[in-house]
Amino acid sequence: MNWMRFQDALFHRAPAALAVHILMVLISVVVAVVISVPLGVVLTRPRFRRYGFIVLNVLNMMQTIPGLAIVALAMPLLGLGLKPTIVALVVQGLLPIARNTIAGLYGVNADVKEAALGMGMPAKKILYEVELPLAMPIILAGIRTSAVYVVSVGTLAAYIGGGGLGDLILTGLNMFWSEFLIVGAGLGAVLAIALDRALAYLEYRITPPGMSSE
Amino acid sequence: MIELREVTKVYKGQTVPAVDRLSLKIPEGETCVFVGPSGCGKSTTLRMINRMIEPTSGTILINNKDIRESDPDRLRMGIGYVIQQIGLLPHRTVAENIAIVPRLYGWPKEKIRKRVDELLELIGLDPETTRDKYPSQLSGGQMQRVGVARAMAVDPPIMLMDEPFGAVDPIARNYLQDEFLRLQREMRKTICFVTHDINEAIKMGDRIAIFNKGRLVQYGTPHEILTRPANEFVSDFIGYDRVVKKLGLYRVADLAGPAGCVAREGELPEIGRLMREKESDVAFLVDAHGRPCGFLTTEDIGGMGDEISPQSLMQKALGRRGAFAQREMVLRDALSLMLEYDTEYLGVLNGGDLAGVITLSAIRKHSCRKEGE
Ligand SMILES: Nc1ncnc2c1ncn2[C@@H]1O[C@H](COP(=O)(O)OP(=O)(O)O)[C@@H](O)[C@H]1O
Ligand SMILES: [Mg+2]
Repeated sequence: MNWMRFQDALFHRAPAALAVHILMVLISVVVAVVISVPLGVVLTRPRFRRYGFIVLNVLNMMQTIPGLAIVALAMPLLGLGLKPTIVALVVQGLLPIARNTIAGLYGVNADVKEAALGMGMPAKKILYEVELPLAMPIILAGIRTSAVYVVSVGTLAAYIGGGGLGDLILTGLNMFWSEFLIVGAGLGAVLAIALDRALAYLEYRITPPGMSSE
Repeated sequence: MIELREVTKVYKGQTVPAVDRLSLKIPEGETCVFVGPSGCGKSTTLRMINRMIEPTSGTILINNKDIRESDPDRLRMGIGYVIQQIGLLPHRTVAENIAIVPRLYGWPKEKIRKRVDELLELIGLDPETTRDKYPSQLSGGQMQRVGVARAMAVDPPIMLMDEPFGAVDPIARNYLQDEFLRLQREMRKTICFVTHDINEAIKMGDRIAIFNKGRLVQYGTPHEILTRPANEFVSDFIGYDRVVKKLGLYRVADLAGPAGCVAREGELPEIGRLMREKESDVAFLVDAHGRPCGFLTTEDIGGMGDEISPQSLMQKALGRRGAFAQREMVLRDALSLMLEYDTEYLGVLNGGDLAGVITLSAIRKHSCRKEGE
C-alpha cells in the first residue's frame, strides 16, 4: 500500500467527490420523495385506488432492473453528466418511498378514519391531520431505504460522467490502485450509514407522541 | 325529528338489500334503539342518517329537511357520532380529540378549553389529570367516555351511537349505560342507538326498532314490544324471560305501598295486636334511631303472636335485615331479592329511611297488566 497515494486519494480527490456524491444523492432523494409521496397519496384515494396495484407492479418491475442498466440506459437518452445520473437515481429511489407511502396510508386504522369522517372532518383535513401523521414513520422508513440505495447506486454514476465517489473507484480499478478503491468504497459506506442513522433519528423524532410503544 | 321513508340500500355487487324499504320516525328528544341479530342492517341504517352511506332509494329527513340538501361534512359536524371501536386519534391528546369538532366550527381557543374541561367533568373524568393524556394511556371504559364526550362537544341535537358500549366489560358497560341515561334525562337529545343486545335495548330505549334481514319487524316502546311481540321472530329474540325483562322497566317506587305498622324492640310482645289494629300484614322493626332493621309478617306470629317469644321474633325480623329495596331499584331485582329471602314482602327505602312496602302480589299483578291499564 502506497501511503502517499492514499493521502492523495483521501485529501485531494475525496472531498470534491464526496461533495458531488452527497449533492447527487440529496437531489435524487428529494425529487424521488416529491414524486412518490403524492403518488402514494393519490393511489390510496378512493377514486384511484384500483390503479394502485398496477402502479406498484410497474415500480416493482423497474426496481428489478439493475442500477447499472438504468445508468447505462440514461446515457443514450440523456447524454453524459450529472443530469442523466440524477434521473437514473430518481428512478431507482422511487419504489421504496411509493410503496411505503401506500402501505403506511393503508395501515392507518380504519376506525380512526371512520370516526374522523363521521365527525365531519373534510377529506383533506383527514389526510393532513390524521392519515399522513400516522403513516409518517413508515413513509420515513421508505425514504431511509431509498437513500441508502441511492448512495450505492450513485457510485455507478462515474461511468456516465456523473462524478462522485464512483470516480475514485473507477480510477482505482483502471490503475490497480487499491488505495483509491478503499477510500472511494469506504466513504460510500460511511455516507450510507450516516444518512441511515440521521433518518432513523428523524423517524424517532417524528413518531407521533402516544404512538411510540413504551 | 328524524324520518326515514322507504329507505333501501343495496350494496354494490350484492342482490339482497342490506336495508329494505325501511320507514321510521324518531321523535325529537327520544332515544330510539335499533336492535337485531348481526348483519341485519342496523349500522347501514345508522350510517345513512349522516350520509356515510348513500341510500339506493328512499328519503331521509331531519327536521323535515331532506339530508341530501346538506353538504355531507356540514351535516356530520352537527350530528354526534360514536362507534364501538371509538376511533380516538392516537396521536392527539384527550383534549385535542374532544376539540376536533369545535375546531371545525372555528371556536376560539378559550371557549374550546372551557368546553373540554366541562365535558370531562360531565363524563366523570378529572380534567387536570386526563386532558393531556394520550388515548393509549386510558382504560377501555375511559376511552369510551372520551368518545362520547367528543361526540357531544358542540352539543349536537342528534347523536348516532353504534354499539357504543359493546367493547367494554359488563360491569363498566352497566355503569356507562346508567351514566348515559342520567345525562340523557337532562340533555333530551334525539338519539339513534344501535345494539345487538335486547337487554341493552330495553334499558336504553324510549322506542325500540327490531330489525331482521334488513327489514323493520316491530317498532314500539319497550313495554309494547315485551307485552305484544309482533311475531315469532320478536318473541324468540326477546327470549322466554320477557316477563322478567318487563320487570326491568319499572321501579320499586312505582308499586310501593305505605309501610303500615312500625314497631320498636320493646313493642314486640304485643306485635300481633299492633298489626291487627293497623290492618297490616307486615310490621317493620326499627332501631333506637328509627332505622329499619327487619320485619315480621302475620305468618311469623302465627296469627296470635302471643305464644312466640320476643327473642325468636327479634331473630326472625333481623334475619330480613337485607330484604329492603331502594325506591330506584328495578322490579326485576326486587323480585330476585324476594326469592333470595323467601318472602313476599320487601321494605322500601328512601336512602336510609323506611318509605313503604312492596309485595309479591303487586309485582305479579303488574306483570300481567296490559298496555294502558
Ligand atoms: N361496505 C359494505 N359493502 C358490502 N356489504 C356490506 C357493507 N357493509 C355491510 N354490508 C352487508 O350489509 C349487511 C348489513 O350490515 P350491517 O348494517 O353492518 O349490519 P349490522 O350493523 O346490523 O350488523 C350485511 O349482510 C353486511 O355483510
Ligand atoms: Mg353493526
